[in-house]
Amino acid sequence: MAHLRRSRPAADALGRRRSLSAPAAAGSLVRILTERLGNDLHDLWTDEDTVEFQIDGSRNVDVLRTLRDDPDLDFFMLADEAAVDYGPGAHFEVVYHLYSDKHPAWVRVRARVDRSDPRIPTITNLWKGAEFHEREAYDMMGIIFEGNRDLRRIYMSPDYRSFPQRKDFVLPDDAADSAAAGVNPLERPETWDLSRFRDAPAVTFPPSSERPDAPAEGAEGGETLADKSRPR
Amino acid sequence: MTKIDPDIRIPDPIELDRIEEQRLRSVAGLTPAQAIAGGEYAGFDQVGIPDRPPQTEREREVYTLDEGEMLINMGPQHPSTHGVMRLVVKVRGEVVVDIDPVLGYLHRGIEKLCENATYTTVLTYVDPMDYLSTMHNEHAPAIAFEKLYGIRAPKRAEYIRALVVELNRVFSHGLMMGFLALDMGGLTPILYSFINRDEIVDMLSAISGQRMLFNFFRVGGVNWDTNDEFLSRLGTWRSHVMKNIEMNEWMITDNEIFRARTINMGTLSGKQAIDLGVTGPNLRASGVPFDVRKAHPYSIYNELEFDVITQESGDSYARYLQRIAEIKQSINLIDQIVDKMPHGPVQAQVPGIIRPKPGRAYGAVESPRGLYSVYAISDGGPTPYRFRMRDPSFITLQAMPVLMPGRLVADTMAIMASLDPVMGGVDK
Amino acid sequence: MPSDGNGPIIIPDAAQGDELLQQFGMEEHPQGGFHGLLEVIPTKADYVLDLIRANSLWPLLSGLSCCAIEMMSTATSVNDIDRFGMFPFRASPRQADVLIVAGTLTTKMAGPLVRLWEQMPEPKWCVAMGTCTTSGGRFKRSYSVVQGVDRVMPVDVYVPGCPPRPEGLIYGMMKLHELVKQRRGEWRTYVDRGPQRTRWEGDVR
Repeated sequence: MAHLRRSRPAADALGRRRSLSAPAAAGSLVRILTERLGNDLHDLWTDEDTVEFQIDGSRNVDVLRTLRDDPDLDFFMLADEAAVDYGPGAHFEVVYHLYSDKHPAWVRVRARVDRSDPRIPTITNLWKGAEFHEREAYDMMGIIFEGNRDLRRIYMSPDYRSFPQRKDFVLPDDAADSAAAGVNPLERPETWDLSRFRDAPAVTFPPSSERPDAPAEGAEGGETLADKSRPR
Repeated sequence: MTKIDPDIRIPDPIELDRIEEQRLRSVAGLTPAQAIAGGEYAGFDQVGIPDRPPQTEREREVYTLDEGEMLINMGPQHPSTHGVMRLVVKVRGEVVVDIDPVLGYLHRGIEKLCENATYTTVLTYVDPMDYLSTMHNEHAPAIAFEKLYGIRAPKRAEYIRALVVELNRVFSHGLMMGFLALDMGGLTPILYSFINRDEIVDMLSAISGQRMLFNFFRVGGVNWDTNDEFLSRLGTWRSHVMKNIEMNEWMITDNEIFRARTINMGTLSGKQAIDLGVTGPNLRASGVPFDVRKAHPYSIYNELEFDVITQESGDSYARYLQRIAEIKQSINLIDQIVDKMPHGPVQAQVPGIIRPKPGRAYGAVESPRGLYSVYAISDGGPTPYRFRMRDPSFITLQAMPVLMPGRLVADTMAIMASLDPVMGGVDK
Repeated sequence: MPSDGNGPIIIPDAAQGDELLQQFGMEEHPQGGFHGLLEVIPTKADYVLDLIRANSLWPLLSGLSCCAIEMMSTATSVNDIDRFGMFPFRASPRQADVLIVAGTLTTKMAGPLVRLWEQMPEPKWCVAMGTCTTSGGRFKRSYSVVQGVDRVMPVDVYVPGCPPRPEGLIYGMMKLHELVKQRRGEWRTYVDRGPQRTRWEGDVR
């Protein structure tokens, strides 16, 4: 993998700027969005089947409520809620994908979250189904959704301390000095509880050197499985 | 306690239970049960319950016991939790009061691994996600990466994709029929389901080379063209496919016990289902005609003729009927695909290591469990910068705390099996 | 004293019993019980019983992930593992002989799985099914995956494959038969089967 890797570009280079050549079908949607959302809308661009824009993180509930409840928009279904980390020194993004049967395009709302204080209002009061999405984002990225009633870890155990999908959490094979170093407790034999074996009664099988019928080489080379499996 | 919609469950068994308890107390000359103000936090000496203070409002709600309530721990090793799921069930007598799904026992960190793998390798990592719909798992990333890279698969590749995907749907829904019956104590239907499933996976292994985690899709096409063995197996299978399915239908659909345990059980209204993010057959069984194949036609689905099937009642039985109807629909689609399949190449010219331009793409497919989507971000490198998967069964599990209050403990597994979650997808 | 074969068997009292045992070369052990020539009997019994055990292995119905589906396929009618006396997949670990670890073992699941293994009565065997359980497989680099189930419990048979075909699992189980027969009369208690852990960081109590 090392030969494939190259340095990541700066986070702001990730946002592709494409000229707004809206397909005919998405055109009316873009017009309605610009009318209804006005100042909240930043960086609008369209894809073949997506209309995307960026909003401020604190405005997410208002924008999504408008998208859901406005009869012309009617994006009634939350298709996805993803969290994206743009690396240390940059920001998080919470990305909502919405579906409407009135428009032939997915709407992608990218809400920007500060990385030093990753807080964003929850949208579980709009869609209750966002709860597990938000728990996952909290578990994996450490984004705090204010107002979520059940913001616990969902995948990792409650005493886990890292946020594995952040970009500064590097998988153990990649860097030994990352936040992930030694993250697998099984790799640390000093944490093993071996007291039971110390206190256990003696091993029921004597070493083959002490057995009268043991072969001569068993005494030198230690006990082998073949020795043990031989019927007495 | 989770709010109970009075329109759906009348009478409320918890209320009946409470009335019965008060009646018994009055007969015995005892004072009526007093609701304890804060309740008692049951965190300490019960097995499987966290021995620490609650972290959230909801956790306090579940793990605080009123008088007469207790907690039952189901899983992660349980014969019918469909894998390693754990449910903490709060019961009053035999009536479920609340339920808390505890997930993560199969969390393998697939998203993180995919962010460290090349675009081609990602398609192997996603295979074990939802291990009963492997072809769909590969389909969504393939669509997203093709959008990122700006290519399209050849026409014949798209037809082969649609063919294998529909075959996968047939055996996945078929297994759901079997598992649903198995969780209610019927052993035989699963045997017929597995005969059908083994036949299909053998057929798909003839075309892909792998029996279960097929790894068949590539960015810009599929791995292999159809071959003689695949086509002859397909023909044989098509000639008797309905036999096993009808055998199952004949055994299950009109079975008195099955009907008693599914009709009016776990009723989910369409509005509730959308609110909870339930998709796929479970949503269509509640009467909402949302199918990604129609809503945002991908692959070649706009060239095929089919209608979105829906049921009305939204209960477990409707979800079961919906699966049967979709099996028949998929077989019809397979016939259409085989009829219309064009000649041509099956793989576009794509280098081994692709480096798409920086950008974002969203690929969504209709998996047997619902809307399965991938959100991929490229930064111009050989690996995706962010690779996010939305698995339908993960989201569907949120319906459990809504459906279960007021039902009996024995119905927990029956209702969960009707939702058909797969833990590989739930935990990623 | 025992009768001559025609009458009823008379059970000797304690003093007579000691004499009887001394005739067979048995002595009282300082820590209780007897030891001597007659000790050959329990080992020989295991020698026979393991033959019976080998041909009627009852696996635990415990699937973790993808391999579980192939394990179920092995048990159903197409690849009928009932032919080898292995049909009853027991749901309770207390009734099972073989733990087929079918699927990726995560750190969160490792504690419950070890607890299952400890609840199974001796003698017991463990089959690691699939590459994830033998080495971590395709998830070896992940932050939450145990890199091989042999890090937490002793394994008797490894079945490679991702997932193994049902024929592969059947072959592995036939290897386990051979192993049980090879080791018969010599099965060991869990104490000397290698290190095991009781408490896990990812273990929710």
